[in-house]
Amino acid sequence: MTTDLVEVRAGVYHDSVSLMRISQALSSRPGVTVAVVAMATELNLGLAREVGFSVPETGPSDLLVAIRADSDAALKDGAEELERQFAALARGAGPGGARTESPPRTTRSAARAWDASLALVSVPGEHAFAEAMDAIDAGLSVMIFSDNIPVEQEVLLKERANERGVLVMGPDCGTAVVGGAGLGFANVLRPGRVGVVAASGTGAQQVTCLLDHAGAGVSHVLGVGGRDLSAAVGGRSTLTALAALDADPATELIVLISKPPAPEVAEVVRRAVEGLATPVVTALLVPGQGDLTSAAESALLALGLPVPEWPTWTVPQPVTPCAGLSGLYSGGTLCTEARIIAGSGAFTDFGDDEYTRGRAHPMIDPTLRLEALGRASGVVLLDVVLGHAAEPDPSARLAPAVREACERGTAVVVALVGTESDPQGLRRQADALVAAGASVFTSNAAAARHAASLIGSAL
Amino acid sequence: MLDGEPRVITAGAAVLAEALDQQAVPRLGVDWRPPLPGTSQALAKVLADPRRRSANEVAVGRLLSARPQLVGVRPAREVLDLPARTFFHAGPPIDWERASGPMRGALIGAAILEGLASDAEEAERLLVSGSVKLDSCHHHRTVGPMAGVVSPSMWMFEVVDGEHGGTAYCSLNEGLGKVLRYGAYGPEVVERLRWMGEVLGPVLAGALAVNGPIDLRSLIAQALQMGDELHNRNRAATSLMVREIAPAIVEASPEHAAAVLRFINGNDHFFLNAGMAAGKVSADAARDVPGSSLVVAMARNGTDFGIQVSGLGDRWFTGPAGVPDGLYLGAYGPDDANPDIGDSTITETSGLGGFAMAAAPAIVRFVGGDVSDAIAATRSMYEITLAEHPAYQIPGLGFRGTPTGIDIALIARTGQLPVVNTGIAGRVAGTGQVGAGLVSPPAEAFTSALVALADT
Amino acid sequence: MTLGTRTRIQHRAPADAKAFGAASTALRPALESPRRPARVLAVFPLCVYVEVRTDVEPSVVAVVTGEATRLPNAVVLSDPLPVTAAGDEAAVGDGCVEIGRLTVRVRRWWDPAPPLGRVELSRLERVLPRFGQICGTSARRPGLADGDAGALLAEGCARGSLTAAITATEQLMGLGPGLTPSGDDMLAGVLVALRQIGRAAGVSRAVWLADWLAATVAFDARTRTTPISATLLHCAAQGQACSDALAVLRGIAGHQPLEPAVHRLLRLGHTSGADLAWGLRAGASAVVALGRSVRTAR
Repeated sequence: MTTDLVEVRAGVYHDSVSLMRISQALSSRPGVTVAVVAMATELNLGLAREVGFSVPETGPSDLLVAIRADSDAALKDGAEELERQFAALARGAGPGGARTESPPRTTRSAARAWDASLALVSVPGEHAFAEAMDAIDAGLSVMIFSDNIPVEQEVLLKERANERGVLVMGPDCGTAVVGGAGLGFANVLRPGRVGVVAASGTGAQQVTCLLDHAGAGVSHVLGVGGRDLSAAVGGRSTLTALAALDADPATELIVLISKPPAPEVAEVVRRAVEGLATPVVTALLVPGQGDLTSAAESALLALGLPVPEWPTWTVPQPVTPCAGLSGLYSGGTLCTEARIIAGSGAFTDFGDDEYTRGRAHPMIDPTLRLEALGRASGVVLLDVVLGHAAEPDPSARLAPAVREACERGTAVVVALVGTESDPQGLRRQADALVAAGASVFTSNAAAARHAASLIGSAL
Repeated sequence: MLDGEPRVITAGAAVLAEALDQQAVPRLGVDWRPPLPGTSQALAKVLADPRRRSANEVAVGRLLSARPQLVGVRPAREVLDLPARTFFHAGPPIDWERASGPMRGALIGAAILEGLASDAEEAERLLVSGSVKLDSCHHHRTVGPMAGVVSPSMWMFEVVDGEHGGTAYCSLNEGLGKVLRYGAYGPEVVERLRWMGEVLGPVLAGALAVNGPIDLRSLIAQALQMGDELHNRNRAATSLMVREIAPAIVEASPEHAAAVLRFINGNDHFFLNAGMAAGKVSADAARDVPGSSLVVAMARNGTDFGIQVSGLGDRWFTGPAGVPDGLYLGAYGPDDANPDIGDSTITETSGLGGFAMAAAPAIVRFVGGDVSDAIAATRSMYEITLAEHPAYQIPGLGFRGTPTGIDIALIARTGQLPVVNTGIAGRVAGTGQVGAGLVSPPAEAFTSALVALADT
Repeated sequence: MTLGTRTRIQHRAPADAKAFGAASTALRPALESPRRPARVLAVFPLCVYVEVRTDVEPSVVAVVTGEATRLPNAVVLSDPLPVTAAGDEAAVGDGCVEIGRLTVRVRRWWDPAPPLGRVELSRLERVLPRFGQICGTSARRPGLADGDAGALLAEGCARGSLTAAITATEQLMGLGPGLTPSGDDMLAGVLVALRQIGRAAGVSRAVWLADWLAATVAFDARTRTTPISATLLHCAAQGQACSDALAVLRGIAGHQPLEPAVHRLLRLGHTSGADLAWGLRAGASAVVALGRSVRTAR
């Protein structure tokens, strides 16, 4: 016997990541079989109906709660947990501490009421333009974590930002570190001399984590968004970010992590780089141009620092020449890098839009990737990215799946991107994964080479 | 840009905000919610319109810099394009068929006043027949409180904008209780209107000629600091006006001075109509700026609530008028209330009234209780306005300027509708005022205007 | 020395409470070591000092709220401070600070000695008189009268006289009343300015002098002054300073307006801010004097 609770809370809004966390927390209560707590968008209503809830007519500005349990008592327990979760969310919603005034409703009014230096926008993409433009109009640099922003809007934002002398990081910017504050998916890094301009979030995470291992800290990591170097956008944010780092007294070396730029933009950026007083190391993510690890090594050489052995924990794994290689990635750039290095194999980027519709990014919710690992055979290469906002303990769910895969005879190789200071703890995660039977590399390039060597196609 | 300790505004995912809190990064969270249903596409277009920022700066700049001055009091037939057998009324255009009780009552009263009918039945037949032409006050540089009916023999405040040169008109206030603007048309109502036309109007006209223009901008600024919000409370403004003009009244018409001053003193709302003309002339200065999303008129006719937007010319965007929520006189209750009516929302349009509620602690009971509600009401209006008024300031908020210049894009983004203070008219024609309180405008008036603006 | 200004409250924080914060990189050695016992040294409304049982500096960790001035040995909490009292048990290490049952984990590292970039001597010559004027118009004065030791330090540094500077340093250490004696704060200001401004202006003689004074401080501070002050002197010897002093350095370098930064520093503590400001001026003046003498010698 199962029993359902379905209710619609009119006009209640929470962001999708928070709601997915609540759904997850409810699903893990004893006796609760399904829990959907989501804004009542077409997509979410469809999901609820698919699993058999009878959902009333409602709209996207309402909140849908649908819980199924195997007993009334379990349902009641689930409902109580729901209230606790909502209460916790409400407590956490305010800024820093308790405030008696009602919080601002737009970035515009927040910027009027408070002396800020930066805005972080992560509302759904179709609504992000308004918040980002508010920040720019108020003279604030803005990081746009949101994706799915039309390129015309990106150009408008960046044109206006140029007028106002501020920087637009993004859209779809996953990682930034400004003045030591990690924004989005960022690692806990030591402060230092290297400034990073990155068109790729996980690319920046890989480079900065390696620099951190080597004892070289970073001053700032400025994301620019994956489209910045396209002809349409013209590298506007890249140019602004380079100039900002050049003027920053803490930055002695700039690492530019770039996707293949439009030819005319490449020329503009090249000239800008030549005009800087600060030396620049460029990592261009195309075949034959080196990789992220070699970019980090070049940066260390430029700083006059020794290149250490990148931390690696290997377990004996047989070379099986006939086996297939599957790459199961959460970071798009890491996925591309591994595919280029391995030269063959089936690679999937679970952070791609195709896999994130209606669910959180794989760095937050690993479910799909774990399912894929459960089916995989041969050699499996995957990334685990630590840091702020990422899953609090990724190995807790990954290690058992790795052990199961190893017992099936699958070889698992993990690129572990993070630092010891990260909330998850690099060493703790590595130990758990190695104990489960995986070989673990802090360099994604090294992990990819190792995986390729296991199928006998080492470079 | 990279100097100093980061202080971050966050809008969106709580997980990213928590990560900043754990880093002890100073942070202010935006209580972001999705925009009003059906506005996403229009919002994207309007916000990306390259004209928007400067258009709104120009439009709201004009609204803020207007210098309304009361220059005269003159008969409607002389100053308005108002031929015989034409009446103006409050709100967006309406015909007899759709008119509510108080609107019909006021039209009947005006027909009797103008001698077009000798009693209510005859007046009603006349109005049903359509032989009296009706038009919106707003189409003629005019505003009127409640029913807002203006007929040729009524006398009007004449207010000019010393900065931009516009002119606007509003009728003279009759007082409270059984009055035409609330839909009463009994003999005492008509008699009072006759006296106003024969005595009050000419005396005020003479007094203003002696005294010279009255600077309404500075008078309103002072009244705000004396506890008025200039819509439901006009006590300070009325007193200031009397103080300024009394000597001139005595000089100009010694024989009527006592009666006229007694009449004005007996009506705490006497200033409202002059203030409305000031609001109208200021808002009109902001009209017709292409691309601007600034609201230049909010008005109700007792059936529809309508708005006009700077970038959309004279088009009206309407929704059904709501029934105010408030306090009732005597034995009246919500069942006796007519839907929202009147042009007096021109005060909110120009940054006063409900928007300045925090300045008027004496009338906070209208907005549901205590002073903190009034402060919350004003604070919430900063979310949907483009500017803070440089002259109209609220002492209790540290002399912060009143929230001025309603932006339909901000309304769609926040779902926050303008706070409107209002009197409540009786539903049945002839009843008069039954209460006062607060009303929420229909969201569709703003969302349909936004959709239209996206197509310009 | 004041130890605790709060009355002890009986009910303790709930078991195993967690908090997060941002730590100075000066604390990295202490925090990355294996967990070591410590005790609460002093409690103030915005700051709890914890002393680690160790011979190695930094031995005192300041746990502060976001409103407090950020000392160079601080962990800034995102949550309110725990209820605690001087003498309570604590621990530092393995990435955490524990106070009673509260565990504070570090989620961000910040640099208490951020580089100033290049600063020209001519700029220093222009800015320093202004700095002096701002201090002169303030009612805030250093805690020590314009005594012999201070004058000797300023003059010794300006001449580049190691003997005079070291003698004065030994005299100033621990001189004056309070948790951070005035002599220490003045000395700290000089140390930070010599190293940071000396480096920014490319005056190696100033940095060399800072190295010598740092050695003197490292040798003696723990026996000459309070534990808190000894840690702050240790930090100053590396060029690390509190946020308000750093802001003044940035003002001198032209990265932010000088006047408000100086006023904020002067308001710090009873006389600490004025003492630090005195030290920064003396140190910066010495950098100019040393820089000019080198140039003249050439």
